[in-house]
Amino acid sequence: MRGMKMTTENQTFAEKFDLLGCIQCGRCTGGCPVTVRTNLNVRRFVYDAYNEDLLDELSRMAEIWDCTGCHTCAVRCPKGLKPLEVLIGLRSLVVESGKTQPTVRDALESTFMEGNPWEKPRATRGDWMEGLDVKIAQPDQSVENLFFVCCTIAYDPRVKIVAQNMVRLLEKAGVDYAFLGEDESCCGSEVFTLGEDGLFEMIVEDNTELLNEYQAKRIVALSPHCFTTFKTHYPDLNKPVLHYTQLLAELLEQEKLVFKNGLAKKIVFHDPCYLGKQSGVFDEPRRLLKAIEGVELVEFNRARERSLCCEGGGGKMWVESESKIERLAETRIKDARALEADIVAVACPFCVLTLEDAVKALGYEEEMRVAEIMELLGELDGAQDKSNSA
Amino acid sequence: MKIFTCIKYVPDTSEAEIKLNPEGTEVDSSRFSFDINDADNYAVEESVLIKEKYGGNVTVVSIGPKESDVMIRMAMAKGCDNAIRIEDERIASHDPLMVARVLAGAIKDQEFDLVLTGCMANDYGQATTGVALAEILGVPHAAYVKKVEIEDGKVKAYRELEGGLMEVVEINLPAVLTIQTGINEPRYAPIRGIRQAQKKELKVVNLDDLGIAEGDVNAEASQITLEKLYIPVVESKAEIIEGEPEEKAEKLASILVKGGLV
Repeated sequence: MRGMKMTTENQTFAEKFDLLGCIQCGRCTGGCPVTVRTNLNVRRFVYDAYNEDLLDELSRMAEIWDCTGCHTCAVRCPKGLKPLEVLIGLRSLVVESGKTQPTVRDALESTFMEGNPWEKPRATRGDWMEGLDVKIAQPDQSVENLFFVCCTIAYDPRVKIVAQNMVRLLEKAGVDYAFLGEDESCCGSEVFTLGEDGLFEMIVEDNTELLNEYQAKRIVALSPHCFTTFKTHYPDLNKPVLHYTQLLAELLEQEKLVFKNGLAKKIVFHDPCYLGKQSGVFDEPRRLLKAIEGVELVEFNRARERSLCCEGGGGKMWVESESKIERLAETRIKDARALEADIVAVACPFCVLTLEDAVKALGYEEEMRVAEIMELLGELDGAQDKSNSA
Repeated sequence: MKIFTCIKYVPDTSEAEIKLNPEGTEVDSSRFSFDINDADNYAVEESVLIKEKYGGNVTVVSIGPKESDVMIRMAMAKGCDNAIRIEDERIASHDPLMVARVLAGAIKDQEFDLVLTGCMANDYGQATTGVALAEILGVPHAAYVKKVEIEDGKVKAYRELEGGLMEVVEINLPAVLTIQTGINEPRYAPIRGIRQAQKKELKVVNLDDLGIAEGDVNAEASQITLEKLYIPVVESKAEIIEGEPEEKAEKLASILVKGGLV
């Protein structure tokens, strides 16, 4: 910073983000979900960032931290640009200067030192496995499905059930699987959106080396954040990556997965941004929910590509918006209430946390609940291998 | 302004269960994460802020294992210029006086205006190393410093006292300040900065290199013997009173009456 030319890897800021490609049509800002509650105007940033002399000033504007990384702007851009990455580029200038918010600093330091943004010791990453007989991957043993848990699922007591139920389900369905255990380290999704380029590069390099070492046919990610990050930012990964809902939909189709009990509930599925609009996985989670006997699946008006962001991504877990206007998660929960849904089903740990907070904030705990799909499947007394149960 | 900043690599005991070895002489640290001691992190930031304001040079001094190099590199990425890491198993590191003697041994023959330390370490919590260091170096000190102003060869140190009182002392340089948390907001060390800091000098030395006699700083020299560590026995517990507000009030009142408290 301080007057020197803003270049990244020998590219100017304008070149890196293809700012001249922008036609200022405004579809980005028009679709940006956070504009209803913050001053963020992403089109304005794309325009102003062309002027290198303004970059320092732009990077000091609080709005650059309002972006949730949902990618609506990128999905809507007719020129195929990613306006949000301009904001990430501005965040990078702040991060490189060292003057980040303490919460961002601590999350980044923890990711560097301990391989997770939650300030938890690396040595306790596998604690969620306690009481379960989990198959741990060995580099010299081939396995069909290599699971990547995610920092939030591994450490957060509210969502570790996603991984625990997955192990139970895989065992029952007789799937060839293995988990990475304590060797697993953050995928870097939030590090990327928080603008720590250097750390993200290091993470991609280390994880690619680690994951490529295993003789696995494919990687199955439990979180859409890891899933999309691997798909988008890991060019040298030598195996395909799936989200777990894709694997389970496949098992369902192969009739390896049947649900013993039904669930007579009205369920609305909330498309996580990182699963839906960023990676195009819309149908698999719905197929799973529809396969549960008794479930009445309803849809939000804003579903699929138009799904309303819960504000959990883009590093927002570590940056609180100054806005006092209703959170998007609360808007979403009100929409679900209007649909008279009993359950808001999600397939992302961040969505669970933000939407559940909204249910509590609105006082709807009696009327409805937020549940990860894996949680619901676990409650059906597990999934059963048809060959065993027949 | 020539500054020495002393930092320590400590375990974070807040996120994992504390277990002791069977002899009760050591904490099992295998499940802890390690990082710079909290107060020392503020000392690093303060030294860099002083350097940025008055110019000069900051040398990091630390006693610790190779694994702590990452912490030292982070301090250098933030703006410290060079570092000395002392690695020697002979040091009785549980005794702050022995630690202060070793740190003094690394500093005393060099010119300095200021030595900063954290006011207390997260592990043993003795809060004495910095003060002992000042005594050995033969310079004045101020402890629990929350604000620093430097002028005309003097430092005005604002000391945080109990009850929210602030004491302001003016002391001559060179001096030792033990820094309280909250004096500043420590900056982030970006990875690119840490990589660049690899070029800065990090000298690894032992007692012999520093010309310190083992007998002055080892377990025999120490007047502190670590007798035993133990997890305190739970002797009382909290009771959560359940029920409707009226029931709760009745239960609470009866407990207070029974206990002779009202």
